[in-house]
Amino acid sequence: MYGFLVLMGAVVVVFFIFNVLPGDPVNMMAGQRTDIATREAIAKELGLDLPLHQQLFHYVNDLSPLSFHKDNETNAKKYNYNKLIRMGETAMVWKSPYLRRSFQSNKPVSEIIIENVEGTFWLALAAITFATLIGIPLGIWASLKQNSTLDHSILSFSVIGISMPSFVFGALMAMIFGDLLADYTGLNASGTLWETDIFGEHHLQLKNLILPMITLGLGPMAIIVQLTRSSMLEVLSQEYIRTARAKGLDGYVIILKHALKNALNPVITAVSGWLASLMAGAFFVESIFGWKGLGAVTIHAVMNLDFPVVMGATIFVATVFIFMNIFVDILYALIDPRVRLK
Amino acid sequence: MSTTTPGATSNDLDFLLKVDHLSTYFKTEAGIVKAVDDVSFTLRKGETIGIVGESGSGKSVTALSLMRLIPNPPGNIVGGSLIFNHPEKGIIDLRHLSTKEMQFERGNSISMIFQEPMTSLNPVFTCGDQVMETIILHQKVSKQEARRRTIELFDKVELPQPEVIFSKYPHQLSGGQKQRVMIAMAMSCNPSILIADEPTTALDVTVQSRILDLMRQLRDENNMSILFITHDLGVISEIADRVIVMYHGKIVEQGTVFEIFNNPKHPYTKGLLACRPKLDIRLKVLPVVSDFMERDMDGNFVEKNSKFNSLGQAILFNYITEDDLEDRNKKLAQLEPQLRVKNLKTWFPIKKGLFGKVSGHVKAVDDVSFEVYPGETIGLVGESGCGKTTLGRSILRLIEPSEGSIEFEGKDITHIKSDDLRKLRKDIQIIFQDPYSSLNPKMTIGEAIIEPMRVNRILESDYARKKKAIELLEKVGLKKIHFNRYPHEFSGGQRQRVCIARALALNPKFIICDESVSALDVSVQAQVLNLLNQLKEEFNFTYIFISHDLSVVKFMSDRIIVMNKGKIEEMGFSEDIYRDPKSEYTKRLIHSIPKVDLENILRTSKARQLQLRNS
Repeated sequence: MYGFLVLMGAVVVVFFIFNVLPGDPVNMMAGQRTDIATREAIAKELGLDLPLHQQLFHYVNDLSPLSFHKDNETNAKKYNYNKLIRMGETAMVWKSPYLRRSFQSNKPVSEIIIENVEGTFWLALAAITFATLIGIPLGIWASLKQNSTLDHSILSFSVIGISMPSFVFGALMAMIFGDLLADYTGLNASGTLWETDIFGEHHLQLKNLILPMITLGLGPMAIIVQLTRSSMLEVLSQEYIRTARAKGLDGYVIILKHALKNALNPVITAVSGWLASLMAGAFFVESIFGWKGLGAVTIHAVMNLDFPVVMGATIFVATVFIFMNIFVDILYALIDPRVRLK
Repeated sequence: MSTTTPGATSNDLDFLLKVDHLSTYFKTEAGIVKAVDDVSFTLRKGETIGIVGESGSGKSVTALSLMRLIPNPPGNIVGGSLIFNHPEKGIIDLRHLSTKEMQFERGNSISMIFQEPMTSLNPVFTCGDQVMETIILHQKVSKQEARRRTIELFDKVELPQPEVIFSKYPHQLSGGQKQRVMIAMAMSCNPSILIADEPTTALDVTVQSRILDLMRQLRDENNMSILFITHDLGVISEIADRVIVMYHGKIVEQGTVFEIFNNPKHPYTKGLLACRPKLDIRLKVLPVVSDFMERDMDGNFVEKNSKFNSLGQAILFNYITEDDLEDRNKKLAQLEPQLRVKNLKTWFPIKKGLFGKVSGHVKAVDDVSFEVYPGETIGLVGESGCGKTTLGRSILRLIEPSEGSIEFEGKDITHIKSDDLRKLRKDIQIIFQDPYSSLNPKMTIGEAIIEPMRVNRILESDYARKKKAIELLEKVGLKKIHFNRYPHEFSGGQRQRVCIARALALNPKFIICDESVSALDVSVQAQVLNLLNQLKEEFNFTYIFISHDLSVVKFMSDRIIVMNKGKIEEMGFSEDIYRDPKSEYTKRLIHSIPKVDLENILRTSKARQLQLRNS
């Protein structure tokens, strides 16, 4: 319910932002040497001649799975819908959200997103897994040796990780491991998940994932280290930890069972937030490593004023964020009984 | 009248734990703190030793040293031995066990319960799981068996519906129930020694008396020894066979309960016994520890002879007669009430569902009416959750009341706007419970006192305000040099003095003290109470004194209001309420307060002696 409202808000805001931006998509599509009649025809086809609020209504109607359309052949083909109720000329239909077509390639936007999201998805997942698997143990380790040299070096390392921009780190990584040391590492400076070889066959290239994964995972990892550390320090000073020690439990059991479960909440918030934002595509990292993903496509679309693609991608990301938040709320409740509703 | 130490007749091999010259030091930036300094005592089988002392006296550190749970760094046991007569392993020194061996003894032969039941259970595991964990760890039994035993234990500690509690999380239980779970956990492996560190301090008196009953019963059933740590001598008198009094890391006196209460030898013990407000007589001024002793240049204790020669004298020369009290009450009743509270209700809505539909109300204050006369002290007493704090804050409109009216000096203040409200708050001040969190740590003491004056435009310049602030500091017993210091440099009692000075800065007519002495040690509490009384006489304040402690309220108040579940149970003159309580609830409240009654102590300790000899 709450998520739905947020999504609606996102759609409206996105819609208006792209409608007040300068730039005329008709120009982009028609080229420069066209007469007024052609231009008007294009504008009409795209619905750009209508007043803004009607455009918004149409856009939302297109987007909504449950919507109203004139029941005719063109529409049936365009939306690929299932009729539910027929009311005169219009029908209430059930369909998958229609994000319109790219101004440029005329491909359906949903198709473009689906094609590119796979690369982004795996990259984001790999990066966040890398960040979590390294970050949490480092954070715990630092918290156990508070104020030692080890603690200080982990902390300064993580400060570097937070402050280094990803395009600098990405470029460094690509240069060092993908080029200078390429003979030892066997890694490419750029590449994508599926590569087509000269025979036209697709190959899964997992090794291409490594460098962008590390680049993208560095920021979240540094933050996870710090959050885990401070959260663990707080939990370890709690009285129930003393109770656990008074029971005669082993040090490892206390840290991994009694302390960590209490310390995880802020870490989960960070991890999920990062995962969702990585899903939006890491624009710089994807372009540095030549990775085929949502970020690269969005950047390209922005440069070409291809509004349906940009809007579609933005709304897709908003949806991902909302689902991620719902998922995290459920996760909180699983871990911490105090969050559970009565 | 002669008494012997219970168990002293039995031979020396009967000891269970012999603590010999134990010293535990903490390394701090200010140097080494000797938290426990050369402490020796012997705990016999089945015996209960009470350790008393104020905060920082080293009583908790002694307990944690026995468990070897001192956080290291900064703490370390630097000397002494902890000889334990283990039921299976014979005589061992706990201090020299390896980490693994010590882990095995913890929760098994020696177990511990802590002060704060709210925070000493892990919030993310069920109560059952946490007790089961100990059983599985030490007794190596299957999960089903551990579960069965846990439920049995829950039944033994008198938790209602043990099966249901088993799968409840700590936040779903009340404080008393949580402490019962802690006790069940500590009892799960039939320990020889139970160390209880202030187990009832955070609980209401009625709950406290039930928990003490339970501990006595479990002790007798299992022939267990208890080391009971508390700052409350009343509690000690109810449960202990012998008492150890600690001060600044050292044992200053030890003996049987009767010896300690009948004939305290050390001046500190005398002070400690005298400074508790008494329920039966009304004292003018509470004696404080410094009336009995001081420390000389070398830090040794010296008995002072100036004020009181004995405990009896401290009380005899110093109580208010009934006639005086009656006179005062009559005089008060002739005045026009300063504050009139009529049918006051403060309800909090319980919201449910998607759209926050109000499904009911928590009736924190429910239809309360009373009047306060100028110069009077009204005591508000009741258990936690009875609405006394909400009532206090509703009067100041820190919480908006839902219904009813409040009149101050004939003016309705229930609905006045923010400008008038600020003027009102100048006249009515509040002193909160926790002196640690009610002062801004980033603000000097002087700033904290000047700020309210500046906001309310009292005095024309900051120079004049500073002069006034210093005057106030001296009035509450602090010094001029404290003006530029920060709160962390002060002790709890000193901080509460700062809070009082801050409240006085606005020349209020009316002060609400919300549990203002509850977080303080009894000896410090006595000083602050005396200060409040002295200020009252000087400035003729009206007080509303809110506390859960009936003896403190009785010492302070002309009249007492007993609250229960948001309503007034009973209202009347302090002496009448205490001597002749009308409602069931008040009777139970008075009955639950641990009373230091020598005859009673003698009787129980004789009975215990017999019981110990027979076992």
